Amino acid sequence: MTINQLSHVAMEMGVILLSNGAETYRVEESMHRICIALGAKEAEIFVVPTTIIISVTLEGELPLTRTRRIHSRKIDLTKVSEINHLSRQICFEPTNYKDLLAEIRRIDTIPSYPYYLHVLAFAFISQMFTLFFGGSLMDSCVGFLIGIGIKLQMDIMGRFEANVFFTNIVGGLIVSTVALTAAGLGLSTNMDTIIIGSIMTLVPGLAITNSIRDIIAGDYLSGLTKGIEALLIGAAIAAGVAVPLSLLRPFWGG
Amino acid sequence: MNYITPCLYAFGASLAFAIVFNIPRNKLLLAALGGMLGQLVYVLFQLVISNDVLLYLLATIAISLYAEVLARLTKSPTTIYLAVALIPLVPGGGIYYTMLYFINGEIDLGISTGIHTLLISGALAVGIIMVSSTVNLVRKVMLKGSSKIGKKLNHGKKT
Repeated sequence: MTINQLSHVAMEMGVILLSNGAETYRVEESMHRICIALGAKEAEIFVVPTTIIISVTLEGELPLTRTRRIHSRKIDLTKVSEINHLSRQICFEPTNYKDLLAEIRRIDTIPSYPYYLHVLAFAFISQMFTLFFGGSLMDSCVGFLIGIGIKLQMDIMGRFEANVFFTNIVGGLIVSTVALTAAGLGLSTNMDTIIIGSIMTLVPGLAITNSIRDIIAGDYLSGLTKGIEALLIGAAIAAGVAVPLSLLRPFWGG
Repeated sequence: MNYITPCLYAFGASLAFAIVFNIPRNKLLLAALGGMLGQLVYVLFQLVISNDVLLYLLATIAISLYAEVLARLTKSPTTIYLAVALIPLVPGGGIYYTMLYFINGEIDLGISTGIHTLLISGALAVGIIMVSSTVNLVRKVMLKGSSKIGKKLNHGKKT
């Protein structure tokens, strides 16, 4: 395998890992493992949540450096799991460039769960958490509707590449407006429970987990970045919920 | 009955979150069981301990152990199980009430609720850090130990 092909394969795998929600240290470790397994003498990899830099040296050749900027991130842990598995497999049985690239393509195009299931999952999360925090059956049905609304709103704003904080502020707005309206119409008596249950759909669970795990691994830069992201999303949700609560309450009396 | 229902709700919510995170089909149930386990530990220890920050710490330790063990058994990343199981423990209520007190002008209550919420978040982080670091340490010690034994064995064969 030439130095060009080697760094290409490692970079492709790194990009799939990072853009689908792997921790920073996992991306660095996997890429390093692949490079060494495929015959590199040295491999230096630097990863932050938005960029991958890799520098590979082969015996008797000049070093090669590649950089890739990651623009969009989503969460698909199936791909992370598969690439992680592949990177370990390469260590035991080295494959050629073509097969490896085909395998990476296959993993990259694994379909995620169908869209309607994602919408239902959002609705279900919000319903379950409303019950979890002590809501009645009626409250949970309002939560179910809010979950569907939030999913659709997030996807529409995601399509226009709106920024994450704005998306979460609008999410919070929808949650508390619908909950207030339900309380105002007399459909529900505990508006608080519906709001708390529904904002759980917006909680950045993976960002929290990954930031803690990155800090343990010594990647303070990525860990702190993700930790701050999680904190700001929390603040954005609270701000979004607060606006209708303070503006509409006098009129609805909820 | 009162102890079982929150666990079931946590299980349902975790299952839905596992789908949102696109977790592999054959690991969905295992991941969701983690969410239920955290709640179960919380509810059971509630009978003995009244400090809820400590309860959150214990629940996080339980789910982290569960995630680390399952990750080794199923040969998949720990994050898959940990991220899903952690979500029912996130203090959503704390964030909401902090905000509510502030917009109602009850600053004292807002500050004390806010600090309580921060403490809970701290407990979650500390729980994950304790388990992860210990597991890493144990694994490294075991690796070193086994390689030493291997060397000794090889050495013995040679001589």
